[in-house]
Amino acid sequence: MVRDMTPDLSVTLGGGLTIKNPVMTASGTFGYGLEFAPFYDISRLGCLIVKGLSREPVLGNPPQRIFETASGMLNAIGLQNIGVERFVRDVVPRLEDAGATFAANIYGKTPEDYEAVAERVSEVSSLAAIEVNASCPNVKEGGIAFGSSPDGIARLVERVRRKTGKPLWVKLSPNVTDVGSIAKAAEDAGADAVTLINTLIGMAVDHRTRRPVLANVTGGLSGPAIKPVALRMVWDVCRKVKIPVIGIGGIMNAEDALQFLLVGASAVQIGTANFSNPRAAVEVVEGIESFLREEKIASVADYRGTLRLS
Amino acid sequence: MGFRHGTIVRNEGHGTIFYRMEVALPEPVQFVPGQFAMLSGWPGNDPLLPRPFAIYRAASAGGRHSVEFVYKVVGRGTALLSGLHGGDPVSVTLPLGRGFDLSGEGRTWWLVGGGVGFSTVFPAADSLGHRKGGFELFLGGRTRDQLPPKDWTPGGHTAGRLHLCTDDGTAGFHGTVVDAIRERMKGMGVSDLARVTILACGPRPMLKGLAELAAGAGVAMQASLENHMACGFGVCWGCVAAIRDGEATAYRRVCKEGPVFNAMEVVW
Ligand SMILES: Cc1cc2nc3c(=O)[nH]c(=O)nc-3n(C[C@H](O)[C@H](O)[C@H](O)COP(=O)(O)OP(=O)(O)OC[C@H]3O[C@@H](n4cnc5c(N)ncnc54)[C@H](O)[C@@H]3O)c2cc1C
Ligand SMILES: Cc1cc2nc3c(=O)[nH]c(=O)nc-3n(C[C@H](O)[C@H](O)[C@H](O)COP(=O)(O)O)c2cc1C
Ligand code: FES
Repeated sequence: MVRDMTPDLSVTLGGGLTIKNPVMTASGTFGYGLEFAPFYDISRLGCLIVKGLSREPVLGNPPQRIFETASGMLNAIGLQNIGVERFVRDVVPRLEDAGATFAANIYGKTPEDYEAVAERVSEVSSLAAIEVNASCPNVKEGGIAFGSSPDGIARLVERVRRKTGKPLWVKLSPNVTDVGSIAKAAEDAGADAVTLINTLIGMAVDHRTRRPVLANVTGGLSGPAIKPVALRMVWDVCRKVKIPVIGIGGIMNAEDALQFLLVGASAVQIGTANFSNPRAAVEVVEGIESFLREEKIASVADYRGTLRLS
Repeated sequence: MGFRHGTIVRNEGHGTIFYRMEVALPEPVQFVPGQFAMLSGWPGNDPLLPRPFAIYRAASAGGRHSVEFVYKVVGRGTALLSGLHGGDPVSVTLPLGRGFDLSGEGRTWWLVGGGVGFSTVFPAADSLGHRKGGFELFLGGRTRDQLPPKDWTPGGHTAGRLHLCTDDGTAGFHGTVVDAIRERMKGMGVSDLARVTILACGPRPMLKGLAELAAGAGVAMQASLENHMACGFGVCWGCVAAIRDGEATAYRRVCKEGPVFNAMEVVW
């Protein structure tokens, strides 16, 4: 074997998309990307995914919106965002200047909303992919109805698929009984990849005031606390679909990321870790590279899905 | 703004409830009074998130750079911080947010700190101390033990400058800082009041009471708000406060558009 080889970190994600490494940042935890430029060169990421975009700007839920839990956090942001027009007009040129590879996470209240946002972002030639949030637990109707059954997801994905030639990723909810069949339905409806998991619905209450902690009452649980659940679901889905799977959930460092690749994920997204350590995602890129180098593994593709079951 | 690894120089308790931590950093820190840092000083994932603290002081001398924080133990994160020693590693992201607006010539500044809120207004006092107009300082605590140590108080030795207030009357004015400000306003003319700007940090009920008083008296006020934070630099949208936006209400990020807001625009 060649000494000091540089491992090939690039990964192919379907729909004609190849990215320079398997490390992405998760929607809602990375702002619009530019906020991280003071911490590192954001063009080093495989792809960054911006905060969920809707047709019109959204006000979001009242405070209190977040609460720390054991090795995790609950959030009920309510998808506050600047709307797709402002994103395309004000943010995209700056992401292009920064040399970033970026994808748009989109959501709506109705299938028509999804179609409209998908159409608009598809006009952005530099956009790498569209990630359809079919699973946010914090907005009533916010995709959850579509994301909780195979039929619902199939109908939504078919409609969005007709509106875009971009690589289409479908982000799945863990708050379902059989995530595998939903992933399969997304694949059959034309998705190029599935991403999972979104947050797990949770709740916190104050036993003295007898009130819920979050104004929204329930919120989405993220962070290291959900990693074992996410890993199991990613592993399950990897065996059910042929399209690439992008793993998310509690990834704090390169070891965690490698574990998702090991069970079959083609790429990973870093979410809550960006809050604990703003450099987390770029440290994962570096950590994966040095692991492959040390282990003399030529590429991410060679390592992916090599879990030993016996 | 940056994410830095630092080393604790000192971390000591003062009086009954306050701790003061000095952290050595690889680079100098420049900040506007009212700006803050996200600080974490524990390994592993529990607690998961760094905690926000006002930047109390920053110094650079002989190639050494440091930043100081003052904090009160209220829960798990601050309890863990209080157990750290000189030489222990911490990480900080700073400087964050929008601090106090200290522009404006010929203004009369009233700085108000409730509880540990003094940590946010003392740096403003340091900046204003160099100016002619100067400032008056109103500090409130439940009891005398909960007031900041005397030797920390900027300009405390100048007569008429410092107003200590305790809820139980064990030191200074018997009552809240809101009561003390109401007293201070008595006999002041409209034009004198119009020259006053209050800079305040403290518990929300205190800020709300002050804002109502200030609004009624035609006094300007900047309030430093607090909220639970995850990122501290504007990417999670978790820390918002309701702020008036014309006729409507908008949710603005305390960590980015704040923590200092025009008190007249806050939806209390
Ligand atoms: C911009 C800003 C500047 C601050 N500056 C200082 C400072 O200089 N010195 C200082 O002592 N404290 C300061 N605080 C408050 C400090 O961040 C909290 O006390 C700390 O995060 C509590 O952490 P904990 O793990 O000890 O408490 P937790 O166990 O998380 O909580 C203990 C209690 O405090 C409440 N609480 C926790 N965090 C906050 C918060 N951010 N806002 C309101 N209530 C909260 C909780 O609801 C709970 O009742 C500041 C907060 C902000 C937002
Ligand atoms: C504050 C916050 C906001 C989020 N907003 C979105 C969003 O707008 N769209 C979306 O698809 N997922 C959103 N998510 C979910 C994350 O992208 C990710 O799926 C989840 O947090 C699990 O990963 P983690 O444990 O690494 O954070 C959000 C998560 C957090 C913590
Ligand atoms: S704490 Fe994340 S946006 Fe303010």
